[in-house]
Amino acid sequence: MVGDALASSPGGYLLVLAVLVPVIGMLAMPVMGLLRVRHAASLAFATIAVGVAVVGAVGWRVVGSGEALVYGIGGWSPPLGLALRADGLSAVMMAMAALVIALVALYARPQFAAAETAPGGRRAFGFWALLMGLWSALNLAFVGEDLFNLFVALELLTFAAVPLVCLDGTAATLEAALRYLVFALVGSVLYLLGVAVLYARYGTLDIGLLHELAYPDFATHAAIALMIGGLMAKAALFPLHLWLPPAHAGAPAPASAVLSALVVKAPFFIIVRLWFDVLPGASHEAAARALAMLGAAAILVCSVVALRQARLKLMIAYSTVAQVGYLFLMFQLTIEPGVPAWATIGWTGGMLQLVSHALAKAAMFLAAGLIAEALGHDRIDELAGAGRAVPVSLFAFGLAGLSLMGLPPSGGFIAKLLLLSAATLSGAWWIAVVISVGGLLAAAYVTRVLKRAMAPPPEGIVTSPVARSRELAALALALCAVALGLVPLQPFDLLAIGRAGVALP
Amino acid sequence: MTLSGALLAATLATPLAFAALCLLAPFRRRVFALLPLAPLPGLATALLAPGGSLLLAPAPLRLVLALDAPGAMLLGGASLLWSCAGLYAGSYMGARAGHTGFAVWWLLTLAGSLGVFIVADMTSFYLMFSLVSLAAYGLVAHEGTPAAERAGLAYMALALLGEAFLLFGFVLLATAGPNGNPLIADAVAMLDGSPWRAATLTLLILGFGLKMGLVPLHIWMPLAHPVAPMPASAVLSGIVVKAGVIGLIRFLPFDRAAPDWGTALAALGLFTAYYGVGVGITQRNPKTVLAYSTVSQMGLVAAIIGAGMAAGAADATRLAAYYGLHHLLVKGALFMGVGVVAATGARRRPLVLGVMAVMAFSLAGLPFTSGALAKYAAKAVLGEGATGTLATLSAAGSTLLMLHFLRLLAGISKARPQDRAPAGMVVPWLVAAFASFAVAWALFPQATGGGLAGVLAPAALWKATWPILLGLLLAPGLARWGARLPAIPEGDIAVLAERAGPAVRRFGHGVEWFDAAMRAWPVAGLALLAIVLALGALLALP
Amino acid sequence: MSGPLLYGLAAAALIGLGLHGVLAHAAPLRRVLAFNLVGAGVFLLFGVGARRGAAAGLPGDPVPQALVITGIVVAFAATALAMALIRRLAILRAAAAGTPEEGAAPAAAPPRETR
Repeated sequence: MVGDALASSPGGYLLVLAVLVPVIGMLAMPVMGLLRVRHAASLAFATIAVGVAVVGAVGWRVVGSGEALVYGIGGWSPPLGLALRADGLSAVMMAMAALVIALVALYARPQFAAAETAPGGRRAFGFWALLMGLWSALNLAFVGEDLFNLFVALELLTFAAVPLVCLDGTAATLEAALRYLVFALVGSVLYLLGVAVLYARYGTLDIGLLHELAYPDFATHAAIALMIGGLMAKAALFPLHLWLPPAHAGAPAPASAVLSALVVKAPFFIIVRLWFDVLPGASHEAAARALAMLGAAAILVCSVVALRQARLKLMIAYSTVAQVGYLFLMFQLTIEPGVPAWATIGWTGGMLQLVSHALAKAAMFLAAGLIAEALGHDRIDELAGAGRAVPVSLFAFGLAGLSLMGLPPSGGFIAKLLLLSAATLSGAWWIAVVISVGGLLAAAYVTRVLKRAMAPPPEGIVTSPVARSRELAALALALCAVALGLVPLQPFDLLAIGRAGVALP
Repeated sequence: MTLSGALLAATLATPLAFAALCLLAPFRRRVFALLPLAPLPGLATALLAPGGSLLLAPAPLRLVLALDAPGAMLLGGASLLWSCAGLYAGSYMGARAGHTGFAVWWLLTLAGSLGVFIVADMTSFYLMFSLVSLAAYGLVAHEGTPAAERAGLAYMALALLGEAFLLFGFVLLATAGPNGNPLIADAVAMLDGSPWRAATLTLLILGFGLKMGLVPLHIWMPLAHPVAPMPASAVLSGIVVKAGVIGLIRFLPFDRAAPDWGTALAALGLFTAYYGVGVGITQRNPKTVLAYSTVSQMGLVAAIIGAGMAAGAADATRLAAYYGLHHLLVKGALFMGVGVVAATGARRRPLVLGVMAVMAFSLAGLPFTSGALAKYAAKAVLGEGATGTLATLSAAGSTLLMLHFLRLLAGISKARPQDRAPAGMVVPWLVAAFASFAVAWALFPQATGGGLAGVLAPAALWKATWPILLGLLLAPGLARWGARLPAIPEGDIAVLAERAGPAVRRFGHGVEWFDAAMRAWPVAGLALLAIVLALGALLALP
Repeated sequence: MSGPLLYGLAAAALIGLGLHGVLAHAAPLRRVLAFNLVGAGVFLLFGVGARRGAAAGLPGDPVPQALVITGIVVAFAATALAMALIRRLAILRAAAAGTPEEGAAPAAAPPRETR
């Protein structure tokens, strides 16, 4: 490849900004602390404002030009330099992350408002700093083109996510965080092993170059299997989900929302990149079916387990494991002879499932946090009265539940419809059945909560008030999930921007 | 936007707007008084806008509202009954405080139930169908008693199961064609060439049949209809089940004779018609008897649709809608009447019971009532063969069932002799009862395409009368030996399903145990390595 | 036996030992140490890759060195985070059991808030 063939596109610097702005915000927090300006939350909000603008600009450029945005760091192109690249899919992921982070921050503001010297101040400082670090890592994972660079992004993501889990410092959450960290590290090291093998084989780690160079042989397949396996552990695909329920249920509500909505999506996104952009050879039906079967097992087993949980947050965490299963159905549903994967409805359905789950799950965790705060506990059997105490939160919970169940109008419904159609078209009946049964089970666990929560409050119940702004943040996320239900029922071009060049040989 | 377009939009928008306005406290306080107004645009649409259509959103979303003849009949009847029941609810529920929730569910169910009659594209239909199905849960479970909880659970579980059937069926229907969201008519036209024709028809019949209460998917109905407040029972049994009827009318193909599917549906319908009577006569609660009567009557509607499908007769859609309209108004009046009887003292009770008797026998096809007209009209499709004879004979069963109902009804009132039911309950009840006559007579020519002379001919009158006489002859036998009939619990086979409870719990426990085993550190670690090895091997496969 | 092969076998042995350690041991500390063992094996493998790149006539491929250095930093950070968690957990457990561990002294210094 000629040196300047992959020259940065105009506006490519925006990608660097998307990664750097949150880091700058994070680093500014202790610096400002030294200058005795102790307002981590205000700094975080300023950072978020700038970051959202940057992500908006990235989206505007990508949609406006209809091409991927590319940036070679330091003016060097691969294989010598590192590239950042945002195609339509990356832009959508970044927009999703920005939206969730911004609304979660609005929600968290009253909860983590303490100045650093005040009681709880260290916790508040930690939350905002970690949130910014996490955002930066997410953006890097979405735009990175270099497999090692992506490794670093994933590690940063883990290092930001693990302390968020044990923000309250109890033994139980520390244990959950430790379990999460060590299992994620095992996943990382497998991924890194795959990277080492690929580098030894091809001498480059740039996804675009690997796409041209890679050919199907033992080393390549072994490397990709190692990488995907490691990423699955980080994405908590059943049966590798041991760390997720305690970690996501133990974290404070806004942290849970970010973890469940965004953090598990980054490794999945990288699996998608590996599968569709790096993996050489034909469609790999057998392996795709194996992934889909694991996804199906996740949906069925974890939905039933979610139904049997006694605690609201644990139920939502199990629901996340089940919903991650839907994503892995995609690999089988994008196989259509003669059609590139991103022109299939399975691709659109899978990606829509990813985004709508992110929004709905974030809304659900936020709402559950408010319900728990209002009642003082989150035992599902004793939720009676929540409807009176925090009606807006419960409404948000219900709307988010609508999307998880796949009922109209919601993004989850359209995603389910597209995945069902794709399963039908490809003759994979068992997937269609699993999707339907999964929807029924989701309906069961969501309505179980709603029913209890809408019951009249028992005598003498004491509820504490919650800030209206927090309820509205949860509601806004839920409404976004519902609004996704207005997208048309067909493959849309946005998700295919910048992909035609990469993969069609 | 044309007048008909505006009316169609208003039909949907008015109840939804009312529901949204319930967020405002002043509106909320007056909402019961406003319930009768919400369905009025629907009534106007049914009268003024048949044949009209409105494109709500252009392609690729393509949401379309349209009103055809069967839709107009059911829309008109449903709007009228919603209005009457709304008035009734104001009187019946209004005195009790804290029922805003009920009003919101009411309005949402109302919007969905009218919506299914006027949408023309598949996505909107699914949306409206889901709305009416799910919002009706709020009406079923409103009372909050253990019985209502159980009924609500059964209702919700089966409604969601029906949704899953339908969604799958719709996907099969839509993926056979090129469009993401086709018009229903276009999708159905393509069904003949679809590779999944059998699966699609099975799923559609299961999904809509569940809503109509075809055996064995009827179990929610006798649980849900009796526990709801009186006006809610009226709309549940009268209107909500018609969502299934309009579904079958819209989604089954009638352009070509399909004897296999048509006959199967007709057989299922007739079996349901007799089954509803058979179980209904063992019941002790008049509202439960009415619910089983609905099961039975919807079986007849399914038989009409099935016979039409078997013969490839598109007329059947109008006739099924006409029969549905008759049942809608009569059943609504009967449920509202139960409340009126309960509140009426001994002095006025004979008069009230007299009106109720006319309504009840209308279901059996008493001459000059809407039932007689509907049954006469249905003959055109059911024919004189086995299907027709069995359908006629089922009227004897209905007679028996209705006599049983009237006997139970006479004994329920605990009112003092001088008591009279409030006008807010009596007036809507009488309006619905009167409307069943007036509407049926007025629409008869349109539904059948023939004059009224035939139905008044002595032969026709006799044909309507003898099954009733047969039923009356059998009645003393039932009265004498009825007590020996086994007492079948409400919801009959639902009880069997509930016996499976422990097994389901054991299964859930097993799954939980399995999950816990998989979450053990060494197991998960080994699983990770096994997945990597398996994935590598599968990728290396040629 | 060539150099790269020897290194490769050594890397494989380290990775195998480490994975066994991660799976077989229940104590978090041992798991973290085992993770570092796997990491060392992987870094060795990068070295092998660099050596084989030298076949192209270069004295040695510099890119894997950069990757290994970054990797070591990441592994170090991960280990540090894990150690902090383990230590904090031990302090909390000791406090719960009523036997203040050396260095924790909850009575003298109130437990610091963890991040």
